[in-house]
Amino acid sequence: MMELWTTYGWPLAVMLAQIGVILGLVLFFVAYLTYAERKVLGAMQRRQGPMTVGPLGLLQPIADGVKLLSKEMIIPSQAHRVVFLLAPMLTFMLALIAWAVIPVSPGWVLADINVGILYLFAVSSMGVYGVIMAGWASNSRYAFLGGLRSASQMVSYEVSMGLVIVCVLLCVGSLNLTEIVEAQRPAWMQIMLLPMLVVFLVSILAETNRSPFDLPEGESELSGGFMVEYSAMAFALFFLGEYANMILMSAMTTLLFLGGWLPPFNIEALAFVPGFIWFGLKTAGVLFFYLWTRATFPRYRYDQLMRLGWKVFLPFSLLWVLVVSGVLVFTDTLPQ
Amino acid sequence: MILALSFYLFAAVLVVSSVMVISARNPVHSVLFLILGFFNAAGLMVLLGAEFIAFILVIVYVGAVAVLFLFVVMMLDVDFTSLRKGAMQYLPLGAVIGGVLLFELITIFGAWTFAPTIQDNIVNEIAIGDSVTNAEALGRLIYTDYIVAFQLAGLILLVAMMGAIVLTLRKRAGVRSQKVAEQFARKPSDAMEIKKVTSGTAL
Amino acid sequence: MSFDIASLTLILPELFMASAGLLLVVFGAFLGNKSLASISWVSFWVFLAAIFMVLAADWSPVTIMNDMLILDGFGAGFKIMVLAGMMASVLLSLNFVITQDGLGRFEYPILMLLAGLGMLIMIMSNNLLTVYMGLELQSLSLYVLAALQTKSLKSSEAGIKYFVLGALASGMFLFGTSFVYGYTGSIEFQAIGSSVTALASGEAQALPAGFILGMVFVLIAIVFKISAAPFHMWTPDVYQGAPTSVTAFFALVPKVAAIALLIRLLHVPFAAAVDEWQQIIWFVSAASMIVGAFAALVQDNIKRLLAYSSIGHMGYALIGIVLATSYGLEAVVAYLVIYMFMTAGTFAVILMMRKEDVPVTSIRDLAGLSSYQPAMAYALAILMFSMAGIPPLAGFFGKLYIFKAAIEADFVILAVLGVLTSVVAAYYYLRIIKVMFFDEVANEEIVFVKSKSLRVLTWGSLVFVVGFILMPSPVLDFAQSVISGLLG
Repeated sequence: MMELWTTYGWPLAVMLAQIGVILGLVLFFVAYLTYAERKVLGAMQRRQGPMTVGPLGLLQPIADGVKLLSKEMIIPSQAHRVVFLLAPMLTFMLALIAWAVIPVSPGWVLADINVGILYLFAVSSMGVYGVIMAGWASNSRYAFLGGLRSASQMVSYEVSMGLVIVCVLLCVGSLNLTEIVEAQRPAWMQIMLLPMLVVFLVSILAETNRSPFDLPEGESELSGGFMVEYSAMAFALFFLGEYANMILMSAMTTLLFLGGWLPPFNIEALAFVPGFIWFGLKTAGVLFFYLWTRATFPRYRYDQLMRLGWKVFLPFSLLWVLVVSGVLVFTDTLPQ
Repeated sequence: MILALSFYLFAAVLVVSSVMVISARNPVHSVLFLILGFFNAAGLMVLLGAEFIAFILVIVYVGAVAVLFLFVVMMLDVDFTSLRKGAMQYLPLGAVIGGVLLFELITIFGAWTFAPTIQDNIVNEIAIGDSVTNAEALGRLIYTDYIVAFQLAGLILLVAMMGAIVLTLRKRAGVRSQKVAEQFARKPSDAMEIKKVTSGTAL
Repeated sequence: MSFDIASLTLILPELFMASAGLLLVVFGAFLGNKSLASISWVSFWVFLAAIFMVLAADWSPVTIMNDMLILDGFGAGFKIMVLAGMMASVLLSLNFVITQDGLGRFEYPILMLLAGLGMLIMIMSNNLLTVYMGLELQSLSLYVLAALQTKSLKSSEAGIKYFVLGALASGMFLFGTSFVYGYTGSIEFQAIGSSVTALASGEAQALPAGFILGMVFVLIAIVFKISAAPFHMWTPDVYQGAPTSVTAFFALVPKVAAIALLIRLLHVPFAAAVDEWQQIIWFVSAASMIVGAFAALVQDNIKRLLAYSSIGHMGYALIGIVLATSYGLEAVVAYLVIYMFMTAGTFAVILMMRKEDVPVTSIRDLAGLSSYQPAMAYALAILMFSMAGIPPLAGFFGKLYIFKAAIEADFVILAVLGVLTSVVAAYYYLRIIKVMFFDEVANEEIVFVKSKSLRVLTWGSLVFVVGFILMPSPVLDFAQSVISGLLG
C-alpha cells in the first residue's frame, strides 16, 4: 500500500497540485486580461473603462463571472446538442492544456518534453475545431458562416506560422522550448528573426480570431458569428478560451522571439530580476500589442485577409526560411 | 501499468471511433470521429516513443487535413444515406469476396515462413542513444539514405498541386478583384484636378 | 550516412530534368499560357539533352544512393527509348494543344516533363520504394493530363476513371510490397532476389503462397500500367476521352517504362520465382492478345480502336517476357522500338486531321480519303499494314522475332495464339484502309492542318517502317546491348 502511494499516489498528488496552480494562475490572468482590455481600450478612446465595482473597478471581472454563471443557458431546439456543448468545452480545454509545456523560468515547467514547440503548434492548430463545431451545431446561418470563415482563416495562417517556427528552429536546432529560449542568449538570432516576428505577430491575431481579423465573430456582419447562439456558461467558456489563447500565443511569441525569461538583450546587469518577471513582462507587452491593435485598426475584409495570408505571408516566410538557412550555412553557424 | 492502461485506452477508443466513422449516419459526426481516431493514433505513437511522428500526425491530419474534410462535408451537405442505398444490394457479393480474402489471408498466415536470410536483410536500427532525439534520428535517415525518395515525394506533391490548380482554376468573367498594386500606384493627380475658381464665376 | 555528392553526377539526366521542370513552372507562372509553345520547345530540348547525358554516362552497372537506384546498360537503353518517345510526344502535341480550346495550358509540357522523370526513376529503381515513387510521379502527371481539357466532359471522365483505377493499382502495389517485405525482410531488389532464392531452396522446396500473392499484387500494378488484359478496362475510355495528343503520349511512352520495370522486377528480385510468374505473364499475354483482337472489331472510334490495338501489341510484347530467355527479351525491345515508331506515325496522321475545325475521331469520317488526299491516305495505309504485321513492313518483323523466340523456347501454344490473333486483328486494320480507299466521300472533306513537326514525324515513321527490312541491324544491335546490360 505504502509502495503504491510512493510510486503513484504522491507524484500524482504533486502533479495535480502543479496543474491546479497553473490553471488557477491562468484563469486569474484571463480574468484580469478582460479588465485590462477594457481599461486600455477606455484609455485609448478617452473613457474611463470599468470603475464602479470595487476600487478602480477591480472586481468587475468577478462580477461578470458571477453574472455569466448564474444566467440561464439556452440551447436552440434544432441544435445538435452534443456537438453544441462539446464545442465550448473543447475550446476552453485546448486553451488550458497548452500551458503544460510553457516554461516560465528555467525548470518551471510541468512537462519539459522534447517536442514542446510541436505540442504547442498542434494544440493551437486544433483550436479551430471549437469554432467550426460551434458554427455547425448551432444550426444557424450566422454561426455557420462564422465557423466556415474561421476554419479557412485559421488554416491559412497556420501555414505561415509553421514556416515562421521552422525559421526559429533552424537557428536553434531543437524542438524543446527551454532549449529554444536558451539558444537566444546571443542577440544576433533575434535580429535575424525580426521580420518573422512581424509575420508571427500578425498571424497570432488571425489564429486567435482577434481584431482586426475577428471575421468569425464580426459583430457588425454576423452579429457574433459562431457564438451567436451561445449564452451563459457556454458563452463564458468560449470567452475564457479566447482570452486564454491570447495569453498563450503571447507566451509563445515570448518564448520564440523575445528570449523568454532571459533579461532583455541578455544584459547581465538586469539578471537580478527573476526570470518569471521578465517572462511576465514580455508576455504582457505582446498582450498590450493585441489590445493596441484592436483599438487602432478596422476589421479586414475577407478577401484582404486571405490575400495577406496566402500571397504575402506565405511567400515571404518561405523566402525567409531560405534566407535564414543560407545565412546559417554560409556563416557555418548551423546548430549541431 | 500506466503504459498498459493508456495503451488499452487509446487502442479501444481508436477502434470504436474508427467503427463510428463508417457507421455514423451524419457525415459531420463521421469526420469528428475520424479526428478522434487520429488523436488516439497519435496517443499510441507517443506510447511507442515516437513523439515527433505523433505531433506531426496531429498537426497535419487533425490540424489541417481533417479541417478541410470537415469544411467540405459541411459545405456540400451530401445526403449520405441516399448514397448508401445501393450498397445493401452489393452487400452479399462484397461479403463473399471479403470472406474469400479473409480465408486466403488466414491460410497464408498459417503457413508463414520467413526467408532464411531475413535477419541480414532487415535494416538495422540506427543507434538511438538518449542524446539523439526522435526528430534528429528521422532527419539523419531522410536526408541521407532516403534522400531520393524524399525529394521524389516533393515532386509528387508539386504535381498534385499543379494538377489541382490547372484543373480548377479558371478565369471568370465579371469578377472584380482588388488590385493592390494599382491602388498604391494611383496618385492624387490621376483622379483629381485642382482648379482655381475666382469668386463670382462658374467653372 | 551513405550520401555521396559524387553520386549526384551519375543521376545528372534526372537532376537536369527535375530542375528544368521546376524552372519552367516558374517561367510559366509568370508568362502565362502564351508561353506554351516556347515551354514545349524547351522541354523538347531538355529531353534531347537528357538523351545525350545518358549516352555520355558510363553504362557499367552500379548502384547508388543507398542502393535505391541502379545504373546499367539496360536502364540506359530504356531511358533513351523513353526520352525519344517523350520528344516525339512533345512534337505530336505542339500544334494540337495550341489549337484546341481550353487545352493550351502552359502546364501541359511541364507535366509531361515530370511524367518522363517519373518513368526514368521507374526504369532505374533498384528498390520497391523508389519504384513506387516513380510510379506515382508518373501516374499523377498522367491523370492530370488526361483530364486537362476541363471543358470536355469526356476528358474529365477519362481523368476520373484513370485516377480511380490507377489509385487502386497503386494500392495493390503497396499491398503486394508489404507481403514481399514480410517474407524477405527487404525492399531492395538484390536482397529480395537472394532471399527468394533461399526461400525456394528451403525445406519446403517451394515458395510460400503468401509470397506469391504479394508478387502477384506487385505485378498486377505494373501490368495495369502496361494496360494488358485483364487490367485493361480503363484503356479504351481513357484513350477516347483524353485529348488526342495526350492519348498519343499514353500510347507511346508509359508502356515502355512499365515494361522495363516489369522486366527488371522479373529478372532481379523475382528471378527465382520464374516458374510462378511465367504462368501469370503467360495468361496476361494470351488474354491481351485475344482482347486486343476481338474487342477492336466493333469499334468505330479511332482512338478506341488504337486503345485495343495497343492492348494487343502489349500482349505480343509480353510473349517475349514469358520466355525468360535473353533472345525473347531482345525481341521485346525490338518490338517496342518498332511499336513506338508505328504509333508515333499513326497518331501524327490522326492529329493532323480536322473536320470543320474539330479533330477527327470517327473511322467513318475517313471515307474516301484517298480520292482527295492520296498522300496521307497512303501514309496511313502503310502504317496500318505495318500494325497488322504484313510483310515486308517493320511491324511484321517485330512479330516475327517474338514468335521465333517463342518457338525456340518451346512456347508453341502462345506463338500459335499470337499468329491467330494477328489474323483477326488484321481485319480491323484493313477495314480502315478499305474505308479510306473504297468508300464514298462523306459529306465533309477532312482538312489536314499544316504542321511541320507532325509531317516530320509521319515521314520519319514511314521511312522507318518501310526501310526496316533493308537495315534491321541497328535496332537489333540496340536490343542486344540493352538486354545484355541486364542479363550480362
